Amino acid sequence: MMNFDVTPVEVVTREFVAVILAGFGNELLPLTGEHGDEPCPKALLPISNKPMLDYPLSWVEQSGIKDVLLICPSSHRPAISHYIHSQSSSASFSSVHIDLQTFDESQELSAGTCSVLRHFANRIKEDFILIPCDFIPPPSLPLSKLLNKFRTDTMSDGSIVTSCWYEHKSDKQTTPDEWGSPAQPTPIVWDHLSGTLLYVDSPHEVDKNSDELELRMTLLSRYPQAKLSSRLLDSHVYVCKRAVLDLLAQKTRFDSLREDFFPWLCKLQYQSTKREKYATSIRIGIIIHRADDGFAIRVNNLPAYLEANRHFVADTSIGDFTRVEEKSTIKKSTIGKHCIIGKMVKIVGCVLLDHCVISDGAKLDGCILGNSTTVGSKAELIRCVTQAGYEVKDNESVRHEKLDISDWAAQPEDSEGDVEDSTGEEESDEDED
Amino acid sequence: MSPNTASTGKDNLIADEEEVLQAVILADSFNKRFKPLTTHKPRCLLPICNAPLLDWTFESLALAGVQEIFVICRSHAELVKTAIKNSKWSKPGAGLKIVPIVTAKETFTPGDAMRDIYTHGIITSDFVLVTGDLVSNIHIGDVVREHKERRKTDKDAIMTMVVKQSGVNHRTRSKGDSAVFVIDPETSKCLHYEAVTGYPPKKYTSIPREILNEHPEVEIRNDLIDCSIDICSVEVPSLFQDNFDYGDVRRDFVHGVLTSDLLMKSIYCYIAKEGYAARVRDTRSYDSISKDILSRWTFPLVPDDNHPGGHSYEHLRGNKYIAKDNSVILSRTCKIGNNTLIGSKSQIADNAQVMASVLGQRCIVGAGSVVRNSYLFDGAVVGPNCVVEHSIIGSGVHIKERTRVERGCLIADGVVVGPQATVKPFSRLSKRRQDSDDEDEEFEDAEEQCEDDDDDEGEGEDADDEEEVDSELEDVEANQDPEALAKLGADTNAIIWPLPVVDEDEDIDELEHPDNQRLMRIGDNASDLVLSDPGSVTSSESESESDSDDDDDRFYGSNPASSTTSLPLGTPSNLVAQADSAVISEFQQEVKQSLDRAFAEGHSVDNAAVELKTLRMASNVSLRLVREAVIAAMVSRIKIMAGGGIPQRQEIASMISRWGGLIDKIGGVDPVETVEVLQEYCASSDRLPLFGQILAALYQDDIVDEDDIRAWHGNPKAQGQDVKPASLQDNYNKCWVTGAHMIKQFDEQDSDEESEEESDDGSDSGEPVVKDPVTEKLPSAGTNSSEEDSCEESSDGEDEEGNTDEDDSE
Repeated sequence: MMNFDVTPVEVVTREFVAVILAGFGNELLPLTGEHGDEPCPKALLPISNKPMLDYPLSWVEQSGIKDVLLICPSSHRPAISHYIHSQSSSASFSSVHIDLQTFDESQELSAGTCSVLRHFANRIKEDFILIPCDFIPPPSLPLSKLLNKFRTDTMSDGSIVTSCWYEHKSDKQTTPDEWGSPAQPTPIVWDHLSGTLLYVDSPHEVDKNSDELELRMTLLSRYPQAKLSSRLLDSHVYVCKRAVLDLLAQKTRFDSLREDFFPWLCKLQYQSTKREKYATSIRIGIIIHRADDGFAIRVNNLPAYLEANRHFVADTSIGDFTRVEEKSTIKKSTIGKHCIIGKMVKIVGCVLLDHCVISDGAKLDGCILGNSTTVGSKAELIRCVTQAGYEVKDNESVRHEKLDISDWAAQPEDSEGDVEDSTGEEESDEDED
Repeated sequence: MSPNTASTGKDNLIADEEEVLQAVILADSFNKRFKPLTTHKPRCLLPICNAPLLDWTFESLALAGVQEIFVICRSHAELVKTAIKNSKWSKPGAGLKIVPIVTAKETFTPGDAMRDIYTHGIITSDFVLVTGDLVSNIHIGDVVREHKERRKTDKDAIMTMVVKQSGVNHRTRSKGDSAVFVIDPETSKCLHYEAVTGYPPKKYTSIPREILNEHPEVEIRNDLIDCSIDICSVEVPSLFQDNFDYGDVRRDFVHGVLTSDLLMKSIYCYIAKEGYAARVRDTRSYDSISKDILSRWTFPLVPDDNHPGGHSYEHLRGNKYIAKDNSVILSRTCKIGNNTLIGSKSQIADNAQVMASVLGQRCIVGAGSVVRNSYLFDGAVVGPNCVVEHSIIGSGVHIKERTRVERGCLIADGVVVGPQATVKPFSRLSKRRQDSDDEDEEFEDAEEQCEDDDDDEGEGEDADDEEEVDSELEDVEANQDPEALAKLGADTNAIIWPLPVVDEDEDIDELEHPDNQRLMRIGDNASDLVLSDPGSVTSSESESESDSDDDDDRFYGSNPASSTTSLPLGTPSNLVAQADSAVISEFQQEVKQSLDRAFAEGHSVDNAAVELKTLRMASNVSLRLVREAVIAAMVSRIKIMAGGGIPQRQEIASMISRWGGLIDKIGGVDPVETVEVLQEYCASSDRLPLFGQILAALYQDDIVDEDDIRAWHGNPKAQGQDVKPASLQDNYNKCWVTGAHMIKQFDEQDSDEESEEESDDGSDSGEPVVKDPVTEKLPSAGTNSSEEDSCEESSDGEDEEGNTDEDDSE
């Protein structure tokens, strides 16, 4: 009668496509600065010796989604493409089909998330999940939890978006002010019973009234027990109906999804005139992830990068092919691959990316060293970040600095032997190999 | 009984603390919402469920374990004192010490009263502050304990407000006077208080961002009933003393303390999840709280147990309460509806109906009368075949036979109305004073000064002095409209209180604004007020709904509307029909208001149609009624042009092309009925001459077509058979004849185009068309013979445009 074997697989339409946005990561400078002519894509910065992109990708894979649209700047394409097709990642993401697309923009003048999404709207034919490359999801929050809420909400009442906000309890700020401040929470209002996001504060609202938060009475009449919190951060994970792209196409002047589009979308829920104009029943679901339920973070600034790395490392992790000489101590640190650490070196609370060379007797405390950084003997670095390929000279002592190559060239103090630039780096690279 | 519960509460408290729990009752309302019921009596002595409000308050406080009560009275202070003296709580052994305190006449606000308390120096410890119109069964003792506990750790916690969780639209939650509370869910500290008035609708709540610094997660509550029960610390009166501009406890004091950078005091909320507490703030809450008591939300304070007036009632199924002393006389054929309370010695005569109402003692409801959703105080008499809807009737009022009291009326003590009178909705009547027989003279004199008399209205003071009362009455009496008075019946002794008027220049409190007060009136559903803010569309649409002139028109225009549809006061047998027709008349009134608004503000046809559909669903009436209303609204707006002719046709064509589409969008298309309804309306109004032209215009706009007109014409009813008043029959026939001519023209048109011209003779005459219906030329809406061709073309063109417009809008 029925032959189950011949059920055509192609007929099954995709329910979702995951759209992962990988940007430049300007907040992570100098780590994302260029290494010579090579870019250091934010998406590939390692967190506990795994590229950042691994985290959202495996999150997507675990939820059973097969299709990923990965959007990155065109200059990052070779590096990211190489990563995707490299042995390590293709083995782990065998079930996911990644469509890598690029957009042209420069690091200085980056396009807003709205424009990027509008640009790729024709490639998205179904409901989609917008994921930033820098969200490190907690194990207690599988993506399917969001998808299931989205599924039930869209079935029961015209919900078109499910968003995800997380609470982040950071201890006292451990990083110096020079690194920039960690991400500040955005005040939001939501209804707890129905899980509906009602209001997202935006710079625009702050401009309008910096002393008071103005909430529509219509909001409070429909949701009379709303909660307001200034403790939550936007994960920037949004499960969206395809129709969201149509709305986005209508609002051409919006630039940022988080600061312009979603705050506006929230208002559509309870302003009848606005809603009539755009003629959709709209509800925005929200899932709140509390700090007690597991560690979540968006790695979009230096303090977060350090914190994420520290979080995943119980004490110290040392990458493959790294050599550590005698009498060195390494505590609470992550050391990348192919590093060489000399004798009598002291490393506490640091993140060292791949190919770093630390000479004898150097002291590192709370630092992040970019790819191929070399530290001279008996140099002392306290709470510094270095650009890839940076060189710290012997006996040099630096505190609380972001060290990038241009600064380094310009600084008069270290102007003695600094002409031995890129060639030296390359040499050291070879040494490590 | 209650003294027992009181003493147990007291024991608990004494066990905790040695201090005596004090309470302060603000017995004055400081506003005039119950006028004229309160001209000779303070609000706190008005009965609710047959016991004075003040006694309910005492009962609530006794239940909470309060031992010493100060009653702050201002207006009619002597009456309050006497009432306290006679109260059962003043008897020895009641466990309560009640001290009346008379404040100065210049006490205009609760704030003034608090300053008075301060100067009296009567407060020795934390105390309970309530108003004299409280009905509550909440265990205030628990709240007091919580408050004292908190005081041990936080010396700055000066006040705990009791709020009751409910829904946004709970009947006891006043739409006109509510508030948004921002509360820290962990500590229930109140961080922000924002008062909300209902009309004009408040658009935004503004929450200070700085509260988020200390309280990163807060709750914004718009679903709390403010019970006006506050546990105050001793500092509270002194804070009032220091800040002499504090008037209202909420809007000024709470708001002031929370926003002050200097005071550094904190206020907490107690969110009562169980129990009942509410304040009779206005006539609307009087209504809802009465219903709450009858449906036993206030248990154990219910009429059959712990009745504060000491009466005893028998509780019957369906929450009917009948006085127990066997003195109530109920006719065998009378009908008592659910949620009804009948006081002792009352009589309900044959075939009378009393539903969802409270009757005081010695009330009489005459044969065949209907009393619905109304409150009759002691000794009120309703004569035979009367209808009383949703009103409050003072004691000793006599409503004589065949009188109709429409919803929302307040009739003060001793008034006589009728016989055969109609009291318009929301009328406020009081008794004319004995000495004012020479009213005509007075009337002349005082006419000029009448305008400024209303100024006092908003101030909110219950006049106490007899002189003050007199002067107020004098003003009212001076402004009587003899015609309106005549409608109140031959035997009436009433004077009509004026509708609240707003003077443009006058700086009136938003809360007491008449439009907002409408939300606090008994029986007023305020369906014509736009209460929710639809939000803004950034560019194109400006907010036309906030045009205040329009609102006023709507507001006052609406009142007489229902009197046009007033019902014949029929025999008892058609009471059910009457109930139906009450629904219908209400519906018609609402539709009229909705259409008035649509026409005045230029809504789109679709929006108007949606509104009509909703209204129809709400009242479950037939489609024909909607059609009647729409057609009536349209036709009544067509101006009758003196000369007739082209201007008249243009007038009709513009109206039909703008609004004609609405007829088919009310939820069903029935062109034959449309013609019938049009005929019915024209036949019974002065638009009779326009029937032909309107029908032609409808034909032009494809709202009715040839077959429909034929079908209507073929129906014998169209000739006016069986139409009741014989005079109308004639008019019906005229319309029918017009239709006949039209059909004749259709026929001719089909056979021979030329024949049209014959029918055009004499169309310039400007005579009513019905007398010469042949003037209609079809299919164009009656073009003139002289310029026939051009007109025909142009009007055709217009029609096409009209049609395309309509298509667009769909």
